[in-house]
Amino acid sequence: MTTESPTPELSYEKPLPPVLELTKPFWDGCREGVLQIQFCNICDLPWFPPAEACPRCLQDDWEWRPISGHGTVWSWIRMWQKYFPGWSPDEYPYTVALIKLEEGPYMYSTLVEIEDQDVSCDLAVEVDFRRVNDEITLPVFRPATT
Amino acid sequence: MSNHPDRSDLRNLQDKTAIVGVGTTEFGAIYRDLDPERSAYELGLIAFRQALKDAGLKRTEVDGVIVSRLPHYGRMCEMIGLRHPRFVNVLPGEGRQSGIALQYAALAVANGMADVVACIYGNNGRSAGAKYGGESRGISTQAMFKAPYGMTSPGAVTSMMFRRHQYRYGTTTEPLAHLAISNRANAALNPNAVMQRPITMDDYHGARYIAEPLCLFDYCLINDGGVCFIVTSAERARDLKHTPVLIHATSQASDITPVYVADDFWHEPMSQIADDLFANSEAPREDLAFAQLYDNFTPTMLFTLEGMGFCEPGEGGDWITPERIGLHGELPLNTGGGHTSESYMQGWALHVEAVRQLRQECGERQVDDAQYGLYACAAPLATGHILKRDN
Repeated sequence: MTTESPTPELSYEKPLPPVLELTKPFWDGCREGVLQIQFCNICDLPWFPPAEACPRCLQDDWEWRPISGHGTVWSWIRMWQKYFPGWSPDEYPYTVALIKLEEGPYMYSTLVEIEDQDVSCDLAVEVDFRRVNDEITLPVFRPATT
Repeated sequence: MSNHPDRSDLRNLQDKTAIVGVGTTEFGAIYRDLDPERSAYELGLIAFRQALKDAGLKRTEVDGVIVSRLPHYGRMCEMIGLRHPRFVNVLPGEGRQSGIALQYAALAVANGMADVVACIYGNNGRSAGAKYGGESRGISTQAMFKAPYGMTSPGAVTSMMFRRHQYRYGTTTEPLAHLAISNRANAALNPNAVMQRPITMDDYHGARYIAEPLCLFDYCLINDGGVCFIVTSAERARDLKHTPVLIHATSQASDITPVYVADDFWHEPMSQIADDLFANSEAPREDLAFAQLYDNFTPTMLFTLEGMGFCEPGEGGDWITPERIGLHGELPLNTGGGHTSESYMQGWALHVEAVRQLRQECGERQVDDAQYGLYACAAPLATGHILKRDN
């Protein structure tokens, strides 16, 4: 499932997430092609982004569980403004999507294997992965095939 | 009305407190005069001095200070020689806090925690090179899952919400253009506004995208400035220089999620606020002479109008017409030019504009029969007030 990024590793200048004790399992999963988020072991609530406790039970009895990787595009934009370094001029405008995961939580990401004119809110999508370096592989979404 | 909880206890605050002094820096003049050494405290000080003079109060009569966007109350108190304040608070430099500053001030005064509270805001963002996007160091847990995709900036999340609104209701960018053009037309009559050259529909549609579907004219300005308003009891206000502007009704509601956006475009918190305000106001909705609506980006105004019941959800696009929202329309909006044209003071200058309209001080842009006016801010943390000119 994991594919090589076309960008050479040394010249990657886009922002990268810090890997924290709390978030490491997320990135470990992505590296192996598994999208996982936290679930409460008491009430089964899933949540994202990561947090130290279940927002409903307030207990820290939780675990990382793989999720389906399916969701829908809640909305999306094309970013024209050059806020970050790392995007080359021919990458503008680039697409950012807010994905509503099947399990409930939302996740910002980008879309692949689709042209902008074919994107629509509520489009069914599934996760794919793009390797950045040895540590970070980013989850991205493409039109659902299953 | 909806099934919102009864919050009629809010009426305890009705007409107990008033805004008695307002001050603003010269937004246009300092926009044309960048100064990298300009401090936010200095801007706050200028506004405070003006508000004090406007109220006819002495410096020593102020016994409470709320600052926002200024990092520390202590420095502000030092600068205005306030050694023994009875009540202080620091609110973060986010726009949703301006309405909350007024609420804290009213609560403090109404409950005897202070007699005269100065709410002071200073923003040197333009001189300091603030971009309101692109931060990637020391980022929050939310941001670290957005920045790798180039997702950043409050405008981009608002654009996400607007795209969703377009999808759900068939809304076009036409109403956003009307809002931007109307703001600019009002600013053209406001000598203190940063942007005074009127814009047309062609200008709007020819503008560059920032986070598409939103373009340059949907965005607030980035400019330096300071704003201050001074709150005291209604009783005391009646002995001061100006007709008091009473805090007639006020409310706060929220929808706090990790992704900022709300699937209902903040209808839930905004309709709660509308219920609170109109249930606890002597004036019906029709008596509002104007609405100052938080306009970090133009869609926020559309969401506010729908959420507060000026029209049904999804009908904002049709409801927003130049006739209706203009200075002599059914509901004049952002009469000073708002954040897109007057000044990006994160809601603070909208409060001051409301006060000046209710005092009939607005010259060419003065609206008719201004007895009651609305301020509202749609955001994950939302606020609204009805302000009233004292009889």
